[in-house]
Amino acid sequence: MVKKLFLIFALLLGNCATVQAQTLVFTAIPDQDESRLRSRFDKVAVYLSDTLGVKVRFVPVKSYAAAVTAFRNNQVQLAWFGGLSGVRARNLVAGSQAIAQGEADRHFVTYFIAHADAGLRADAAFPRGIAGKTFTFGSKGSTSGRLMPEYHVRRIFGAAPDKVFSRVGFSGDHSRTIALVQSGAYQLGAVNFKVWENELKAGKIDLKKVSVIWKTPPYPDYQWTIRGDLNRVFGAQFAKRVKAALLALRDPVLLASFPRQRFVSAANADYKPILEIGKSIGLID
Amino acid sequence: MTSTARERAAARGQPSPMVRTSVVFVGIAVLAAFAADIEITTADPWSEFGRMALGAVTPDFTATERLAEAVAMTVAFALLGVTVANICGFALALAFHVRAVRVGCAVVRAVHELFWALIFLQIFGLSPLTGILAIAIPYTGIIAKVYSEILEEADHAPLRIVPAGSSRISVFLFARLPEAWVHFKTYALYRLECGLRSSAVLGFVGLPTLGYHLDSAFRQGNYAEVSALLIVFYIIVATMRRWMHRRLLPVYLIGAILMMPGGVDISMANILRFLGSDIVPFPLRMAQSIDGATLAALGHWTAAMFTEEALPGIVNTLILTMIALVVSGIGALTMFPLISPKFFGKRQRIFGHAVLVIIRSTPEYILAYVFLQLWGPSMAPAIVALSLHNSAIIGHLIGRHTESMKIRADAPRGVNLYAYDILPRIYPQFLAFLFYRWEVILRETAILGILGIPTLGFYIDSAFADVRYDRALFLIIVTAALNIAVDTLSRRIRSRLRLKTTLDNG
Amino acid sequence: MALFDLHDVSARYNGRVVLDNISLCIAEGERVALVGRSGAGKSTLLRLLYEQCAGTASLLPQEPGLVRTLSVFHNIYIGRLNRHSLWYNLANLIRPLNKEVDAVRAIARRMGIEEKLFEPVGQLSGGQQQRTAVARALYQASPILIGDEPVSAVDEHQARMVLENINENHTTVLIAMHDTTLAIAYTDRIIGLRDARIVLDRPTAGMTPVDLDDLYRT
Repeated sequence: MVKKLFLIFALLLGNCATVQAQTLVFTAIPDQDESRLRSRFDKVAVYLSDTLGVKVRFVPVKSYAAAVTAFRNNQVQLAWFGGLSGVRARNLVAGSQAIAQGEADRHFVTYFIAHADAGLRADAAFPRGIAGKTFTFGSKGSTSGRLMPEYHVRRIFGAAPDKVFSRVGFSGDHSRTIALVQSGAYQLGAVNFKVWENELKAGKIDLKKVSVIWKTPPYPDYQWTIRGDLNRVFGAQFAKRVKAALLALRDPVLLASFPRQRFVSAANADYKPILEIGKSIGLID
Repeated sequence: MTSTARERAAARGQPSPMVRTSVVFVGIAVLAAFAADIEITTADPWSEFGRMALGAVTPDFTATERLAEAVAMTVAFALLGVTVANICGFALALAFHVRAVRVGCAVVRAVHELFWALIFLQIFGLSPLTGILAIAIPYTGIIAKVYSEILEEADHAPLRIVPAGSSRISVFLFARLPEAWVHFKTYALYRLECGLRSSAVLGFVGLPTLGYHLDSAFRQGNYAEVSALLIVFYIIVATMRRWMHRRLLPVYLIGAILMMPGGVDISMANILRFLGSDIVPFPLRMAQSIDGATLAALGHWTAAMFTEEALPGIVNTLILTMIALVVSGIGALTMFPLISPKFFGKRQRIFGHAVLVIIRSTPEYILAYVFLQLWGPSMAPAIVALSLHNSAIIGHLIGRHTESMKIRADAPRGVNLYAYDILPRIYPQFLAFLFYRWEVILRETAILGILGIPTLGFYIDSAFADVRYDRALFLIIVTAALNIAVDTLSRRIRSRLRLKTTLDNG
Repeated sequence: MALFDLHDVSARYNGRVVLDNISLCIAEGERVALVGRSGAGKSTLLRLLYEQCAGTASLLPQEPGLVRTLSVFHNIYIGRLNRHSLWYNLANLIRPLNKEVDAVRAIARRMGIEEKLFEPVGQLSGGQQQRTAVARALYQASPILIGDEPVSAVDEHQARMVLENINENHTTVLIAMHDTTLAIAYTDRIIGLRDARIVLDRPTAGMTPVDLDDLYRT
């Protein structure tokens, strides 16, 4: 029995110790369509590999925090982050850079949605009538599903969401936020506008039951972030080459995974508002 | 009048300590229910419900990529984790009289395997070690405790007759171990079923098991895929006793090891940073030197953590746990006849087994989500989800226990048999199982944050989501302490009522 | 020379006196039967005697002390655990060696349980279990045997066979028993206990069961 145990560990360690030193590993936060995630992102890996001339591998992660951790631990070197997770990751890894974002990410928007029974109408002004109702965010680490809606709630009411609403939930996911508000389980929710539009197009939303009552002002969101220490491993100017490869990406099949029309240049400074909001509401120390 | 009533009560006899304990717990649960946040806010759940129902009857087995791999991984992680835990747990059971071992085991099993996985993710990333250790470590603590109790309860009579001068190990091997071994095997098999559940659930944090795909599909409302994945999982669990043969175990283990993905390096720097910096409370980490100001900041940090998260977390966790415990008990007593040969024939029991496998193998958070759709957010969906899950597990154990019970040929049938024969005989065993599940239910409250119930687990999950491991660790320690307190209380009650771990036939 | 020597010994159990100022001397080579009603103190006395010889005797307690999940072979083999190294014992536990099987089989045959040799003891009848326990005591081959009702679960024919075997294999025999006929037939000294005291102690030669009736009268 003891021998068996040693065997297990020896094999495991042996397995793990085979470091694939020259492989660029990337990940993407689980945020949009997760079906057949591996197959779709493996194609992105092939594109990057062909363009950059190095081995590229995609690893899927289950949460924003897991993406940040993997990036920080150098288990992935490149990641498609949300606004908040990107800021967190760059805070933790000195020298890391935001290099590209989608066109839409320059002015991303969160929708506040409400079930018809809540009796709220769409308005350009912040809907103060939401106080006292039940409210669900998306994932705890999401920019559009948590950070920005919480920021606006605090800004208007001067209090934490659990003081403003009669009940606060975290659905964990934009699609589920929509489902929960549509069924009336929660009266209100905050959702990534892209997911809303996609589901609306897919016919999953019954506007008689759930509708958008307010749109946040725009803010910067998703971006590609790369570690700062890659030139040593992959050669000079590697980060720049990765950036160029992303900006040159035109294949609509690959872009649909994000889903973006194309990528444009981004820099750390673009996300300063997110960092400040994160600090102001206590999500970043 | 009163005196005659009292006399009559005295003549009937006092209720047994077991009945009194049960009544006290029901009373606590009723009080907790008044304090609990239970509210039914129905709107129109039926369209989403309809989608779920449609998905349930039209499972789509082709929707999941690499389904076979996920199945294999689920089994592989469970086998490796449970095997390692059995070996270590057995060794520690032999040293269980050492206080440090007992405390150590209590601490490691007090932390939910999902949180172990989240901790190891910080250190090892998504390497196989993360999954195996996340199962093996808490299970070692559980197995050490149970095995030591089995050894304790095994018949000590053979020890009297061994000839003087026999070596201690020989005596142990011949006179102690064989009696316990039978119970070890039964328990190990039960643990493997738990291991399969844990392995699947670890997919929620990213391991390549069934839970990984289940979570994705569920989040997106692909209910046909969800039901296919659940059916596959039910089949794995339901057929476990058929494919899990002792002789095949080495083959399975070697297969499992070979299947483990490689390619993730273990970095000492990451480990040191996690232990040396990440988990150090924020004010200490930021301080240049340990002076009065730092200590004041640390005190403030601790006080804030305690009053804002730990304390409300403890209150909510306990309320939820106490209600779910009692409802689980009632549920288990209702469900066990479904699989008991004393009540139903062979065909009917197949149906009973299917029902129990489905209820106990569906992850609690999926159950919770279904009830959330139905009743809106409050503690109610959490209570029902936790209770269903646990009553199916306890019901299964008791139902199996009744298989070996002998009943008189002229025994009554149906309800009379239940009330006058079976129930009184299984009740001690039932209470023992239920008190065992107490700390398990406490741990499971952790994963129901979706309902917006701020349990301790909800705050721990938030701390991990915010990449604040100092807070996570603080809350995990609080949770562990609460778990140990409940565990100690449960042990006291079990020993006072003389409830045993092992099944005795009769 | 006295093998056992008790002097004014008393014992209590749950506050009740079970032995009251007992003095007793037993020499090597004696075969002694303890008789008396249930609760007269026989088991307690046997336990005290067993403690005096510090485990050098084969013991047959009332609860036979069998390992229910082990086979008859292993239960008998336990009688000689102290004669072998740990590794030898371990090997025999996993896969019995021929040499040991032959030795154990011979004893099992004498006890009439040979065909059950590799069945778990828990599946045997009460009588078979008792004979397994006796076989273990015989296999242990200590000069002294201390037995508490060793023939309570077998029929008279088997009881005689068991007692004969015990007498053949052990030089000094101390057994508690109910059957006065058997006690007279197979021992040479009878000690009668009543209400925690020795009320009778004489050789069996020329004794008849009627002489012991007093012990059982209420």
